[in-house]
Parts: sequence; structure tokens; C-alpha cells
Amino acid sequence: MVEILEESTGKDGRRVLKVAKEDLVQLMKELKGQGFVHLSLITGIDRKDRLEVVYHLQNLEKNEYIAVKTETLDERVPSVTSVFTSANWDEREQYDLMGIVFEGHPNLKRLFLPESWVGHPLRKNYDISKVQYINMDENGEDYATFDPGDGW
Amino acid sequence: MMGSHISKPDEHGWVELNMGPQHPSTHGVLRLKVKLDGEIVKEVEPVIGYLHRNAEKICELDYYCDSMIYFDRMDYVGAMNMEVGYLEAAEKLLGIPPPERVQWIRVVMAELSRIASHLVWAGAFGLDLGMLTPFFYCFVEREKVLRIFVEACGSRQETNYMSIGGVYQDFNDKLVHDILEFTEQFPKKLDDIFNAYVKNDIFISRTKGIGILEPEVALDYGVTGPMLRASGVDYDVRKAEPYLVYDKINFDVPVSYKKDNLARFLVRFEEMRQAIKIINQAVKKIPDGPYFNPKAKKSLMIRLRGEGEVYARTESSKGEFGVYLVGDGGVKPYRVRVRSPSLKNLSVLPYLAKDQMIADLVAISGTIDLVFGEVDR
Amino acid sequence: MKSGDGGVLTTTLEKALEWGRSNSLWPLTFGLACCAIEMMAIQAADLDISRFGSEIFRNSPRQSDLMIVSGTVTKKMAPRLRRLYDEMPYPKYVIAMGVCVIQGGPYNQGYSVVMGVDKVVPVDVYVPGCPPTPEALTYGIMLLQKKIRNETER
Repeated sequence: MVEILEESTGKDGRRVLKVAKEDLVQLMKELKGQGFVHLSLITGIDRKDRLEVVYHLQNLEKNEYIAVKTETLDERVPSVTSVFTSANWDEREQYDLMGIVFEGHPNLKRLFLPESWVGHPLRKNYDISKVQYINMDENGEDYATFDPGDGW
Repeated sequence: MMGSHISKPDEHGWVELNMGPQHPSTHGVLRLKVKLDGEIVKEVEPVIGYLHRNAEKICELDYYCDSMIYFDRMDYVGAMNMEVGYLEAAEKLLGIPPPERVQWIRVVMAELSRIASHLVWAGAFGLDLGMLTPFFYCFVEREKVLRIFVEACGSRQETNYMSIGGVYQDFNDKLVHDILEFTEQFPKKLDDIFNAYVKNDIFISRTKGIGILEPEVALDYGVTGPMLRASGVDYDVRKAEPYLVYDKINFDVPVSYKKDNLARFLVRFEEMRQAIKIINQAVKKIPDGPYFNPKAKKSLMIRLRGEGEVYARTESSKGEFGVYLVGDGGVKPYRVRVRSPSLKNLSVLPYLAKDQMIADLVAISGTIDLVFGEVDR
Repeated sequence: MKSGDGGVLTTTLEKALEWGRSNSLWPLTFGLACCAIEMMAIQAADLDISRFGSEIFRNSPRQSDLMIVSGTVTKKMAPRLRRLYDEMPYPKYVIAMGVCVIQGGPYNQGYSVVMGVDKVVPVDVYVPGCPPTPEALTYGIMLLQKKIRNETER
């Protein structure tokens, strides 16, 4: 049985469960067994001292809706792709823009930006004024560069 | 064409073909890396991000009321639905419920927008399959919808009609008259367009029985909207978790059990007919009253502060559109996260296209209804 | 006008070529974002662009001489846009449609958008608006035709 650290109700009336990240995959399996088959959204939130990951799940038959929250201090969270296939691209996107490493993900690559992009743009400490350029090599793959002389 | 780079065959005898990002049938800037055995597709890897416009980051730098324009530009063919989706979240977070009259007006506009979106999809899908004629009929009807939008707010496509706690301008009698005039003549025209498709043998043979999506797989991949309903799952956010005044309106959710391309086509056309039914009911029921909440006057708008976390879902023309807003008590949102239905629907393409002909790949990706402003944001 | 003077003959031939070129601009099917839908709208029945000789939207850059950059150019797309431009045969023209293409538009405080397509390819006509109405784009194409017709006089 998974230990729920905190249970509350959000401003939109949805039940919010908070778990330690070690128990996340186990809880997801249990919830899926209870009928929460639709993983709607995975969100990473940068709380400056820690990273928060929120999962929104839905039970289609009973029409119930819950949010599961977990926190991490070292940017690492277990991946839930083994439970929900739809988590695949969501986790890649959060890795790309937020820099959360999902351990156990089958193909953890950046989704939108090229692999060599420096930094994760949705972090609060990302310097948006530092311009990066993207160029294309002969095979059509992209690479990022800081040097304006090597830009397009 | 830019996509015609073909590699040498690998150890299976497969060649890799690059489609896009500039390709007439990829609906914008989708790039597909396709592995082919002869004409049979063995693997597809979608590469996206060619329209990544960092909307989520810019929303964090702007006031709550200003973020609206970035939502308009996400699903740019059905902009009103995006506005409804954002305002559902923002109004809950800021504690400014819209008046009754506004809710009915929003329903009318959202459904008109759904019609416009499906018409663009139908025209473009015809072009994918090599049919030019229905495209013109679809765009003539769409122009009529856009003329109503111009009458209401002065803008055609990216309307920015709704604002926090209300709408930008009130409905007047001429607008109601225009809408009723449109809904009266539209079903006949819709039947004409419909017949132009389904009475064509080539269209039927390229859609029937192709691109089968099993309901279990669809749920597993997070597919929503007309694609999920065409696979036989009766799930619509308007019914499951009614927002605005959808619970006071009588309408049906079209579901098909055929699971193929043709089913997705039929579901979208039936949705347009249901949208007409909704508009006809809603226009007549718009009550009198104010058209904005006095707490959200234009001069007060940038001082609105929100705290807490809200996740709101709406049914856009592509599927379940969700907005997750986190506020820290300031005048700007702390985190904005968007669930884009097209992104989830696209993620099922590698499964759908496996072992199909390369020409069917185009037809299948056409039925997903991709809009890249929303996929890449 | 002097008869027998070679100069007169050359000028009129060039004028004739310009006239022909300006009235058969074939745009490239190159939709990037929101503006692409309005670009499709000028092709359709209500706002028929074929009145101005641009009815055929070619899918290949080799067959087109006008590139309507319709929609936000991201940094990831910019090298591809340049390549498409390079693949087009001379003489070639570019219309920048929408504020995103002109200077970044609503997205100009972000990290992944090119602040104006004129940093990547030379632009002939700018059509502002977000998105511009199809009428505005038609006017932009007419301005470009005017520019082509007066090319030798400049």
C-alpha cells in the first residue's frame, strides 16, 4: 500500500494526492487498476528550490478526476511510461523545456528543441536574453550554437 | 521538394524517406522520417518543433488578460474554443465568474468556431486525397462564419473576442439575425459538401477500412476528440464535465464504431450538424443582462491577482483541451501549461501508419486534424 | 519613339517580359502558421487570387517564383526556409505576411522565434497584420506586380 503524504482539494474542486517520488509508479499502477485509464497531462513546475511534477488522471467510467503530485530535489523522477503509453511525449516535452530527467524512459530525447540546445527554457533561472541559433547539417538534423557568426 | 532525401537501403532492405517540413500534405510543418520497404511503411518517426513559439514561457511574462492572444494563436482555425479553454481556467483562478448572458454568447461563438475549424479540415483533407472541388465549397461556407466574427469583434480569424469575466462587445439584433440566417442555409450546403465526398468512389476506397484505431490503443495513447469517438468511445468533455451552459442544451455526441478514416470523417461532419443544433437553441435562449462582470472592468484588468492551482478542460474541435494555471498571488501567472489534443493525437501516428502504403500515410495523417500552432505551441 | 533604334526594341521587349512575369506569379505552397489559413482563403472561391494570375500554388520550389512567408518563422525552421529560397529559380520574390514574419510580432520576447524573416531572405513586400486579411495580401501581391513592372526604370 502506498503512503499518501498529503491529501487536499484544489481550487477547481479536484482531489490532489501527494506522494514521495519512490512510490509514484506503484501509485499509478494502483490508480490504473481502479479505472483511472486516461492520463490527461503531466506538468513540471519550477519552485526554485525544488521541482514539482503534477499528473492529472481521469476515470472515464465513474467520471472522477484526480491530480497526483510529487517533488524532486535532484531533477530526477521515475518514468510512468510503463503504465501509460501517453506519458511518452509528455515526459519528453517536460525534459525538453523543464529539465526533469525521467528515469526509465525508453527514448528520452528533446521534443521541440535540438539536442545541443543549452538550458531548459521554462526554468525560472533561464536567461532569455542569451540568444542561441539553430542550424541544419547535411542530413537535415539540427544543432544549436551560440555564435552569431555561425548562424544563418 | 525538400523532403526527397532518400538513403541507401539498410540491412532489412528498407530505405529511409524524409517527408517535410515543407510538404503539401503535412498540414504545416510536420516532418516525418519514414522507413519504407518498397511502398510499405515500416516505421514512422514524427519530428516536431518547427513551430515552437514558446507560448508557455511568454504567458509567464504577461498579465492574465494579455495571455489570451497566445491562446488564440494556438489552434488558429478554431480560436474561440481556445479562448473558452483559457478563460475556464483563468476565471476560476481569479474568482471572476462570467454572467449568465456571457456564457450563452460563448457557447454560440465556440460552436461557430468549431464549424469553421471542421470546414478547414474537410477542405484540406480533400486536397490531401487529390480532390480540389470540395475545398472551394468548404471555404465559401467558412467565409460566412468569419463574416459573423467580423461583425461581432472586427477580426476574422484570431478573434480575441472574449475577455476575463465577459466578452468584448455585446450581441446585437443584427448579429443574431445573421447567425440565424447562416444556420438556416448551412445544413443544405453541408449536405452538398458531404455528397461531394461520399459519392466519390476514390474517396471511399482511400478511407474505408484504412487506419484502424482500436479503442484500447486510443485510450492508452491519450487520444481524444473526434478521433476517440470514431473508435467507439463515447467521451466528450461537454457531456462528461459540462462547462459554460452545455448541460442546459440538448445535443447528441456522434460516435462511430468503424474505427477507420471514414469514421473519423463522418464523426466530424455529424459534429457540424450538432453544432448547428446547439447554436439554434443557444441563440434563442440568450438572456438579458450585463455582458461583462463588473469586477473585471478594462481599467482593473491588469491588477487581477490569482493564487492557487486550477486545471480546466474543454472540448475543442480537436479534442480535450486543458489549461493548467498556477498563480503565486502576483499579477502574472507563475506557470501555464497546456494540454494540446493534437499533440496527443499525433503521437498515435506511428502505430496507425505501420504496415500501410505510403499513400495511405498521407490520408491517415490528414484525418488526425493537425494544427501546428497547437502541437508545438 | 525612334524606329530602327535598337534601344527602343530592347526596352519594349523587357517591358513585355515584365508584364508577363508580373501577371503570372506562381506562389510556393509554404504555410507555416496562422497566416497560412488566410493564404489558403485567397486561393478559394470568395477571394479568388487567379484574377491576378497567381492561381497555381506550386508544391515544388523549382516551379515557383514567389514565396509568401505566411506565419512565424522559428529558429528551427529558418535554415529550411533559406534552403527553399535557394532552390527557387531566378527571378524570385518574397512577400512577408504578418507581423511575426516582419519583426517577431507577439512572440518577439521569446527564445525560439526569428525576429523578422528579412534576416534570412531578402523581402520585397511587407504585409502587416495578425493575421492580415486576405484583401491585404491581395493588395500586397498587386504592389509586388507594380514593382516588377517598373523594374527596368529603377
